Amino acid sequence: MKIRNVERPASRGIAIGKAYVVEKQELIASGYTAGNPQEEIKKYEDAVNAVADSLETLAGDNPIFAAHLELVRDMALAEGVKTRILGGSNAEQALSDTIDEFRMIFEMMDDEYMRERAADIQDIRNRLMCRLKGMEETSFDGIQEEVILIARDLAPSDTAKLDLNLVLGFITQEGGVTSHVSIMARNVGLPALVGVEQIMEEVATGDEVILDAVEGAIVLNPDGETRAQYREKQEKFRKREQELESVSHLPAVSEDGHKVQVCANVGSLDDISLAVTKGIDGIGLFRSEFLYMDNTHFPTEEEQYEVYKKAARLCEGEVIIRTLDIGGDKALPYYTFDKEENPFLGWRAIRISLDLRDVFKAQLRALLRASAYGKLCIMYPMIISLEELQEANQILTECKEELIREGKAFNPDIRVGMMIETPAAVLNVRRLAKEVDFFSIGTNDLTQYLLAVDRGNQKIAKMYDSFHPAVLTAIRQIIDAGHEAGIPVGMCGEFASDEKAVQMLLGMGLDEFSVNAGAVAGVKYRIRSSSYRECTKLADDIRELYTIKEVMERLQ
Amino acid sequence: MVSQNIVVKNKSGLHLRPAGLLSQIAQKCQSEITLVKGEKRVNPKSVLYLMAAGIMCGDEITVECEGSTEVEDLQTILDAINSGLGE
Repeated sequence: MKIRNVERPASRGIAIGKAYVVEKQELIASGYTAGNPQEEIKKYEDAVNAVADSLETLAGDNPIFAAHLELVRDMALAEGVKTRILGGSNAEQALSDTIDEFRMIFEMMDDEYMRERAADIQDIRNRLMCRLKGMEETSFDGIQEEVILIARDLAPSDTAKLDLNLVLGFITQEGGVTSHVSIMARNVGLPALVGVEQIMEEVATGDEVILDAVEGAIVLNPDGETRAQYREKQEKFRKREQELESVSHLPAVSEDGHKVQVCANVGSLDDISLAVTKGIDGIGLFRSEFLYMDNTHFPTEEEQYEVYKKAARLCEGEVIIRTLDIGGDKALPYYTFDKEENPFLGWRAIRISLDLRDVFKAQLRALLRASAYGKLCIMYPMIISLEELQEANQILTECKEELIREGKAFNPDIRVGMMIETPAAVLNVRRLAKEVDFFSIGTNDLTQYLLAVDRGNQKIAKMYDSFHPAVLTAIRQIIDAGHEAGIPVGMCGEFASDEKAVQMLLGMGLDEFSVNAGAVAGVKYRIRSSSYRECTKLADDIRELYTIKEVMERLQ
Repeated sequence: MVSQNIVVKNKSGLHLRPAGLLSQIAQKCQSEITLVKGEKRVNPKSVLYLMAAGIMCGDEITVECEGSTEVEDLQTILDAINSGLGE
């Protein structure tokens, strides 16, 4: 038995079965003496036409093959091959050398996505080479039973011929999480581990393999005990996936009838489109930063209006849009920030908005105008004082007055809230609650600022812990102050989806859990299988605990 | 010759699929077309050259067209890039 650990599962799941190792025929260019250049060119052109024909049938509704079709017919490729043939190479060698040149260009590019496109070019090469040699392309005819497929890498041309009913999972020696096989495995829901060095040498067809793409492990030739353990683990995983699937579209209500909202955190319109399929109650945090970062200028009111309008229309529930939240640690291509000693304590978020008044007003006006099309809410980040909040609200009022004068539609009762993520906001929370319609707790920054621990510093990474009793006390105070003032309190930090934290937060009275789309079902499942009364008791008990260790023991 | 600058807005730049579409469109134009990004000059009728130019989101590029239909062709290419190339 041999166990290997693998980082970053490409597609989650567990498979147990026989290995089928895909031995690709080595498609090395043969060194035959080139015939008449015109004959060699004709040979190459015939191969291109044959491959193009077969791709054309595949390309119908598959954009990858449509793009491959363009690659096969590419004029630069044809020119490169013909020039080499005229220089005395045979067709195979000319193809091989031309492709190598392009592949090298791609492999040296800065962008991970572009580097992985070298595989697409290789795929084209192999298709053409097979034709030139008069060989069959890779075939999976040897697969007679369900197998775990092991390959150096799998190209779209390979997987198109594959009968997925006979595949339990994939392991590839090359490729990353954005490679073709990773994306395909996620789409069809099969487990996959990619970039597993040496795997082709370590496994032979027929070996028994356990593929654990949950924790990231491969077990070769497991003993009986290990196999039994994994069967159990696999069963548990399947059951949980099924349960999650079955609750994801049910409301987030505890066993004893306490209802909360489960929402999604998003960073783009695509994220919203995905999130709305996961049974969410709304968008608890829409990060507007992408509008500023993927741009060449501060986004205009019109540009933002179009995006916010789409966001409002995409989601039936509330969409909470956070105003610009960047600082000196992130660069904008069109605006130079002064270098700061402490960017996290520097000119960032609402501080920038209040200083760059025109930039802020463009965003607020766009948000207001888009509010005519759905349930948009506005949220200010990183507030530390009542003055800041009042000033922001004053600017918002100005924007509303302008829009009324201009006769432009907006929702006059748009709900306005703030993030609570600084110690100063926690200490002033009862007063702040009187000025807004909702709070959202940003646990990532709150933890970092309360504990004075830099999240990014490896040396003290262990000290960054949202279960620190000081953080828990702050969360409790925020929720209590919100409820006292009659406003709902949500949480949009990672803590809201922490398996160990959900019941405690429910017991503290948190009204809205805003989490990544992938975590929605898990959080709902937890809430639906909890008793609110018991969670309240749990939260009360934790109040009396003063070390992380005690807290964790109580949460077990 | 006519030319104009344009900013590419595709999120992942001109990667495989948008580059494939743009080269299809370019192939239908009769003009000699060149895309210029910094030092690099590429013929967009080749998808390989297009991708190798590594044109990313937010890059400002120049489109040059030369030939009897250069004015129409320039507009065709600019419109295609502005349309987001299927994204």
